[in-house]
Amino acid sequence: MKCDDQKIRNIGISAHIDSGKTTLSERILFYTKRIHAIHDVKGKDGVGATMDSMDLEKERGITIASAATYCEWKGYEINIIDTPGHVDFTIEVERSLRVLDGAILVLCSVGGVQSQSITVDHQMKRYKVPCIAFINKCDRSGANPFRVIGQLKSKLGHNAVAMQIPIGLETDLQGVVDLVTMKAMYFDGDNGEDVRMEEIPQHLLAEARTRREELIDAASMFSDELTETILEEKEIPAELLYTAIRRGTLKRELTPVYMGSAYKNKAIQPLLDGVTLLLPAPSEVENVALDMNNNEEPVVLSCDSEKPIIALAFKLEDGQYGQLTYIRAYEGTVEKGCTIVNVRNGKKIKVGRVVRMHADQMEDVDQLRAGYIGALFGIECSSGDTFVSPGINMTMTSMYVPKPVISLAIVPKDNKSQMAMSKALNRFSKEDPTFKTYVDHETNETIIEGMGELHLDIYVERMKREYNAEVTTGNPRVAYRETITQRADFNYTHKKQTGGSGQFGRVAGYIEPINDAEFVFENEVFGGAIPTQYIAACEKGFRQSMAKGPKLEFPVTGVKVVINDGASHAVDSSDMAFQAAARGAFKEAYLRAKPVIHEPIMKVVVETPTEFQGSVMGLLNQRRGMIIGSQDEGVMCVIESQVPLAEMFGFSTVLRSSTQGKAQFTMEFALYRQVPQSIAEKIALEVAQNKKTAA
Amino acid sequence: MSVGRALRRENNVIHLTYKDEIMIKQEIIQRNPLLNLGFENDYILKSGDFGAVLAHAGVGKTALLVQMALHAMMHEQPVLHVSLNDAVSKVDVWYRELFNDMASKYDSAEVTEYWENILNYRFIMTFRVEGFSVPKLEERLTDLMQQNIFKPYVIILDGLKFDESGRGLLAELKELTQKYSMRIWFTIHTHRHEPPREDGLPLSFRHVEDLFDVLVQLVAEGPEVYIKVLKGRSSEAKQDVLLLDPATMLIKV
Repeated sequence: MKCDDQKIRNIGISAHIDSGKTTLSERILFYTKRIHAIHDVKGKDGVGATMDSMDLEKERGITIASAATYCEWKGYEINIIDTPGHVDFTIEVERSLRVLDGAILVLCSVGGVQSQSITVDHQMKRYKVPCIAFINKCDRSGANPFRVIGQLKSKLGHNAVAMQIPIGLETDLQGVVDLVTMKAMYFDGDNGEDVRMEEIPQHLLAEARTRREELIDAASMFSDELTETILEEKEIPAELLYTAIRRGTLKRELTPVYMGSAYKNKAIQPLLDGVTLLLPAPSEVENVALDMNNNEEPVVLSCDSEKPIIALAFKLEDGQYGQLTYIRAYEGTVEKGCTIVNVRNGKKIKVGRVVRMHADQMEDVDQLRAGYIGALFGIECSSGDTFVSPGINMTMTSMYVPKPVISLAIVPKDNKSQMAMSKALNRFSKEDPTFKTYVDHETNETIIEGMGELHLDIYVERMKREYNAEVTTGNPRVAYRETITQRADFNYTHKKQTGGSGQFGRVAGYIEPINDAEFVFENEVFGGAIPTQYIAACEKGFRQSMAKGPKLEFPVTGVKVVINDGASHAVDSSDMAFQAAARGAFKEAYLRAKPVIHEPIMKVVVETPTEFQGSVMGLLNQRRGMIIGSQDEGVMCVIESQVPLAEMFGFSTVLRSSTQGKAQFTMEFALYRQVPQSIAEKIALEVAQNKKTAA
Repeated sequence: MSVGRALRRENNVIHLTYKDEIMIKQEIIQRNPLLNLGFENDYILKSGDFGAVLAHAGVGKTALLVQMALHAMMHEQPVLHVSLNDAVSKVDVWYRELFNDMASKYDSAEVTEYWENILNYRFIMTFRVEGFSVPKLEERLTDLMQQNIFKPYVIILDGLKFDESGRGLLAELKELTQKYSMRIWFTIHTHRHEPPREDGLPLSFRHVEDLFDVLVQLVAEGPEVYIKVLKGRSSEAKQDVLLLDPATMLIKV
């Protein structure tokens, strides 16, 4: 294993679904000699792409779990995480971006910047990941890489600049002109493995010169030396140009754009050169940990392999040999046999096998130095846990985890399935923080929660395939919430004298709505009306009431409770009595505080040919959708709307049938909003009916 | 602590719940730029009328029109914002930012609810400059109106280039506004290199001037931005010049 930290690149490949990123990964592995044959994504040859290791992924042609792999290119070590493209799996994308230093943003030369690319770009911005762009599918009819570069600028606000121009387009795609070296590159051999450099064809010379001017112009913003060279009208050395472009890229102020066709094996090698030349080494990226001993003060990590260990577990997988934990070392060296501590629970762990992954195959290594990505065997932890050397108490910044918005009841078919199901659920919820599971004590059903219909569908499917757990699913349920809209006072006395020791507790105060927190408890009791030792019991009582609203039994959020008076009894008061008093008080005040139901509203973005714009708007409108706007993109049009999740079930089928399958949509959680009165009544009826059937 | 909540807490009276909503409405009314400039009624433009805001780049044309749009939305008059420069999300940010600036001192829960309500009166449509045409706009409009999704009362048309588009396009637009009983506000980008006429209007605007009923100009002088009426003001004007706060782009009250 090499040790030059400057020659490591941890990169992700992110894009809209079907932009061909898995095909691209496959080609990268081929050219870096990690694999010796190329397989199609949709598995026509029955093998499937190497990065899609799950059967389901191979069948659907999409990538569900990030598979990590590494390869070598011209002396550089590249760790690649193949990230999923569908919005429902964005937690995977976010996790990958959290541990990566740079990314390739793959765009389709026909589809351009699509809605998912925008989401992914937001995520890259959030984690400040520098990126280079690759415009794929230049062999497809309608390919227009420069239109896509325009969209990168206008839609994503990137300062995008072409590093190449294509030689021919669509079926005539032959190669690319490198604007740094001003050479034409052709890709010969059965799989495009032989790169042939030639002079630029005469008919492209003028365009190449203009585009090179643009490139130099953009790069000169980041290098005085380059500006001087331009002013002195000297020859510009390639290194100088690369250094300037790299500087801009690392600041996220410049996005170099490569182009080609992964499927047709064109121009992948120059992209790999771009990765090594333009994306950062781990030590060039600022990573921050939180010092738990110092009030969670942020500490900048140095990427020094000699320092104590700080590593983050960013993904778990259940393999044949037990749990495989993907980690990234930020500081220190994780070695075979060393001891690390899981910061979350303080457990000490002895590191057994350390491996590096290549999709679902692995290679044993002795150590992982700072900046490296690898995996550990047989370690019990959850994803997002931080591992450190004993004596260190730091945690990596917590990852942003959205709350689930949809739930589904699942019932195992038989006893065997029941066992398998619980095993599967245990693993899935450990792997994916947006996937939650619990047992509803009233109906005795197992409920799974997630970020969308497809998200839950995939897990149900995986249960069947990987664990042989046959389950039947109920109708998806929306995660409604209750909240109050006005202040209401309470003054409640809990009193019981039915033999044995009595119970007495009185609490008085008020509840009122708050916007930016789920629950706030304030104690304004003076003079010991409620003895201090019972205040915590009061808070607990109110908190318990929040779990199930008295109106329709949905969780309650956005309530501030203030207690300012009360009474106790020397003998009969107890923790239990005050908890009961608080629950009674909450119930008493709640209905007077005008409770309302809130429902999850999704941001739905539909891309459709303009001729279907009217009918798509109609569809959204019928679903109680509020259309924010429509964006005309020539032949295509993008409609942005906010639609209640409850109305979105089965939308994909309806959309397909009313647009001849030409429209596509993405959906992600946007906000919670009050349910209109008529719908609230319907929900109340449904809840009452469900209760009846459960009884 | 917010104003509304303070009132509620002092008096412990429930019927003051919507105090903040009333206050924010008043705030928007107060800041309605053109009412302050002495126009006869709140809406300034009559059915079929054209109005325009002229200024150099970056002085605040869009901000001013968005304030007028907010004013209309508050009166439950649907606003269609057509942008030829910016994406939907960027236009949306204009509205949010200006509304939040105005509403910053009020109870956030009520303000959010109010915002959600008035949002129903706004529709953003974006076109590429080269892709914009009146038949296309009409097609989109009929899509919306026939399905009862949205019928605009006023259109904000941001980013149309007057020197290039000629009189034909504006005449077609005029016909459209009359047909559907709407009114349109335009932004007009004036160039620094082009000296204006005596009345403040740019020369390149001359060929279409008669189509416009109200013309307002934004002028940056030092750190201040002044709003001046060039055409269409009532004779009983209360105030001659209004100021725009360059930091928030809001009318100074």
